[in-house]
Amino acid sequence: MTHRARALRIGLVWGLAVTTVLVAVPLALRERLPEPLATHWSGRPDGSMPLALFLALSAGLWLPAWGILLAALLRGRVLDHRSGRAQWWGLLAGIGVLPAGMSLVTLLANLDATSWREAAPLGPEFLVPVVAAVAAGAAAGYLGRGAPDVPREPGHAPPGLPLSPDRRVVWVSRVRNRLLLALSRTGMAAGAVVAALSLVMELPGPAASIAWWSLPLWLAGYATATVRVRVTAQGVAIGFGPLGWPARRIPMARIERARVEERFPAQVGGYGLRGLPGSATVMVRGGECLVLDYRSGGRLAISVDDAERGASLVNALVGVRA
Amino acid sequence: MLLTLDLNDPRPLHEQVAAAIRRSIAEGSYGPGDRLPPARDLADALGINANTVLRALRELREEGVLEFRRGRGVSVASAVEGRVRLVMRARELLDEARRHGYSRDELIDLLKELP
Repeated sequence: MTHRARALRIGLVWGLAVTTVLVAVPLALRERLPEPLATHWSGRPDGSMPLALFLALSAGLWLPAWGILLAALLRGRVLDHRSGRAQWWGLLAGIGVLPAGMSLVTLLANLDATSWREAAPLGPEFLVPVVAAVAAGAAAGYLGRGAPDVPREPGHAPPGLPLSPDRRVVWVSRVRNRLLLALSRTGMAAGAVVAALSLVMELPGPAASIAWWSLPLWLAGYATATVRVRVTAQGVAIGFGPLGWPARRIPMARIERARVEERFPAQVGGYGLRGLPGSATVMVRGGECLVLDYRSGGRLAISVDDAERGASLVNALVGVRA
Repeated sequence: MLLTLDLNDPRPLHEQVAAAIRRSIAEGSYGPGDRLPPARDLADALGINANTVLRALRELREEGVLEFRRGRGVSVASAVEGRVRLVMRARELLDEARRHGYSRDELIDLLKELP
């Protein structure tokens, strides 16, 4: 059995187990729980919600996350690299343990209480699921990391490109991630609706703050779902988003050389703008990337189609100028 | 898409741009069905007016090299095969011959001499 088939099988069984804990256990204990049940504590219980909403929220947080992990396994090449395997297994375990643990702690505190205000006080116990989730994630990531990666060739040099002073040569390319585009549009719309609602009414739990804080993230996702790259004698210009703005311009004088490398989201920590300045990656989709090595020692990688021709032109222009 | 403009080329700019795009497609950087970068990007990169690029794109559509689709931008025609491809490469050859100072008739003579 391949690693992927095994991961799929374990992922399915684990996901069903977590779903059972989230849905079946509260339903089985229904007779011994107050209605509504306490769901928020500040030492003593100070917030409540009906059992149905509690079930919907727990399942609503877990099921999409589980679905995304399984989809990533089926569609992507997430298990091809050690960092990808470690992240996938770690997330699968951690994201499962967290809601299951939270749900169990909540149920335990509510068990046999006559009303939600009578629920047992909760102090630092609520940290137990968090610690357990982190520990489970770390352990699963470690166990699932598999064999070390076969060292790849450090990016191949593109073919040379002859330039002559009476010719103007430019390279234009773009790349888009349809899934990220659709996801960030939906997320932005949903976040904006919830954020707007939170201005006029009281929303349960942390919904409002999650919505507000998620907006910049969706916006960042939207802005990095499309990238256009342009190489001219002046330098390399990278335009983000459907409007090509914001844009980043790198003068030719800063670039030492360009090369082409295969990179995947699992290696650089996901999609979007990843890493710190000096070793950043603009990851729109896995695969062919244009890598610019700076004279200062840093580098910038951009996932873009037709990267080889772009790299050839950068090298030719850098050579001509030097 | 790698585009080259010859600054000494006496032809009108839109013809030069059309030739550059044709060459880029002939070299295989864009295959049938691939979307071209927006005309505005190409114009900005080349430092020319977007209308000049649009005129070049329209010429290539008439040749059957490109397809315009509403909302989907400009893409390489799915049928850039057979005659269309041959015409494209013949044009390439003619451009190349002219760059080296050969006339159309001289090129035809050259072709006739080939076995």
